[in-house]
Amino acid sequence: MSAMSEIPLPQIAKRVMPWWLLRHETMLAVILLIALIGLGALNNRFLTLDNLLNQGRLTTEVGLIALPMTFIIITGGIDLSVGSIVGLCAILLGYSWKTFGFPLPLAICFSLSVGAAAGFVNGLVITKVKVPPLIMTIATLALYRGLAEGISQARSVRGYPEWFYFIGQENLFGVPAQLWLLLIAIVATAIVLDRTTFGRTLYAIGNNETAARFSGLPVDRVKLIVYTLSGLMAGLSACVLVSRVTTTRSDMGIGYELDVIAAVVLGGTSIFGGVGTIWGTVVGLAMIQLLKNGLALTGVKGDATIVVIGTVLILSTLVASSLQRRREGV
Amino acid sequence: MKLGLAAAFLGATLLAGAASAADKRWDGADDLPVNPLACSAGEASAAPAAKPYDGGKPTNAADKAGKPITLVDVPKLIGIGYFNATSKGMQDAAKALGNVTVKTDGPTEAKIDEQIKFIDNYITSGVDGILFAANDPVAIAPVLKKALSKGIHVVGYDANSTPDAREWFVNQAEFNGIAKSMVDSMAKEAGEDKGFAIVTSTFTTPNQARWIAEMWAYAQKCHPKLKWLETVEAQEDNNLSFNQATTLINKHGDKLAGLFGMTSVATPASAEAVTKAKLCGKVAVVGLATPNAMKPYVNADCVKSVVLWNPVDLGYAATYVMRAVVDGSLKPGATSVDAGKLGKLNVVNGSEILLGSPFIFTKQNIKDFDF
Repeated sequence: MSAMSEIPLPQIAKRVMPWWLLRHETMLAVILLIALIGLGALNNRFLTLDNLLNQGRLTTEVGLIALPMTFIIITGGIDLSVGSIVGLCAILLGYSWKTFGFPLPLAICFSLSVGAAAGFVNGLVITKVKVPPLIMTIATLALYRGLAEGISQARSVRGYPEWFYFIGQENLFGVPAQLWLLLIAIVATAIVLDRTTFGRTLYAIGNNETAARFSGLPVDRVKLIVYTLSGLMAGLSACVLVSRVTTTRSDMGIGYELDVIAAVVLGGTSIFGGVGTIWGTVVGLAMIQLLKNGLALTGVKGDATIVVIGTVLILSTLVASSLQRRREGV
Repeated sequence: MKLGLAAAFLGATLLAGAASAADKRWDGADDLPVNPLACSAGEASAAPAAKPYDGGKPTNAADKAGKPITLVDVPKLIGIGYFNATSKGMQDAAKALGNVTVKTDGPTEAKIDEQIKFIDNYITSGVDGILFAANDPVAIAPVLKKALSKGIHVVGYDANSTPDAREWFVNQAEFNGIAKSMVDSMAKEAGEDKGFAIVTSTFTTPNQARWIAEMWAYAQKCHPKLKWLETVEAQEDNNLSFNQATTLINKHGDKLAGLFGMTSVATPASAEAVTKAKLCGKVAVVGLATPNAMKPYVNADCVKSVVLWNPVDLGYAATYVMRAVVDGSLKPGATSVDAGKLGKLNVVNGSEILLGSPFIFTKQNIKDFDF
């Protein structure tokens, strides 16, 4: 984020990168650090490299979707259908391989392109028919899940070849294989958001869509791209998930949308659009995953953990909005 | 143009969805071989041929024979009566044994990746043994194998994993036995040539899928005139189960003479739906459920038979089995295991321990049970 100040930015980008946003992320990172130290002191198994890397493995599927979700929420939109796209892609991966007899690499490509197509349809209807993203993606949340269940006919697909389990279960240079994928995706999306016209267009749309249109920005095309990207990443997440749990089920990814949005919003991205960074989302993701893990290791039970996560979400949103109000002098 | 494309795509997907739903006359059964019992009242079936031990083995497990051990129990989900009951059985066993500490923790929804995360975290936090009830037999296997590879003992109960991912599985009742009790009760209560529907958890849940496959096979063999109308999914969700049962009642009208509830959530919800529709006595409800949840309906004569084993005993047996594994008194090839107040339980099917025949709760006996 410090890089932001080094490059000359148009007026609009300056407006969407206010001082308090930096503060929000820094604050969150500080809280995360305190939580890490505190939980580490409570349980000597928490701050081990083995555990932390394993948490990275477990959070990759949600993380991969949280990155494009940051883009979408910055434009003032939302995508609630991601969990269902995960389910649909997982089923199509297994089904095209087992039933259609596609070679597995082709099945993976097929599944990814269906994910992208599912996202494209979201984007198309949102931009052309002007259906609000919330409504459209609630509709496809049901539609894509229904398709997944209809196509699978409730049969699980199992028995993938051994090499396919690499991405979900193995290590590369001592780090879980899927974590590399997440790291690459983080760097790529961060560069796109921070350093490209495309990234700045996202902020512009989120701040004032009409103004962005009048400025000649390709608003619809940009939106179409981010929803398609969201679907594609949900497809990628599905492949990683299937590889990790070795089996395909039509109920995969149920509730992911909430985990994803929680991470993005906790990371300081405003649900009203125009504000947010990839780094914030990464800190949000780490925060949720490590809190859950740390609390579980310390002996807090599953239901209480959810209460704590919910409380943290509310508190952080309160702090963020009060800071915003102070900024706007209301 | 693009708009037309989008509309066409939407239309096509809707049609595809509807078409795939339309031929779903019944579903939820798995494709594994079935073994229906004889139609006559006798419960006896040919004993399955003895199979060699096919479970897994932990590597370099610490020798804790006779020493205190800490166990974690990760059921499919927490907060429902059924798994509260298994958990109580485990606490009872821990008390009786005196050198076992067991904690129940798990997801609040029956979701496989959540369950895997819980087990993974307990492997990190370090326990001597893991007791589990799988949401999916294959998906749970890698994380259980990871536990075995770190020297942690693994015993399943209620819902199995692939055999090589755990050491033993405590089987509450054999699938064909449950199927026979369910279908016979239904045929007796509603009639031999009536239509039935099933409310299950999800089509991919292993236990429910096995029971439905066995019920299908047994009904074809012994009650061939039964009409299987439909099977619907309701997760393990109370509201959804009620809504699904109500929808079935409205959709099939007079053709529906009975509802099977396949989970401890779906059965009371189905009974409630029948009660609300004022169809007690016209639509029979037969299902798997815990007695406390069913007492109001059984006492009101709306439900005549509730099929189950005793889940408290199931948790109790699982804990004894785990202790016996750690102590080394239950080894591959053993034919029985001592389970405290339950006496000796038999080993079946290689690496499973059978709790006993299913139990049918009726108005006469349900008041004696409290779980």
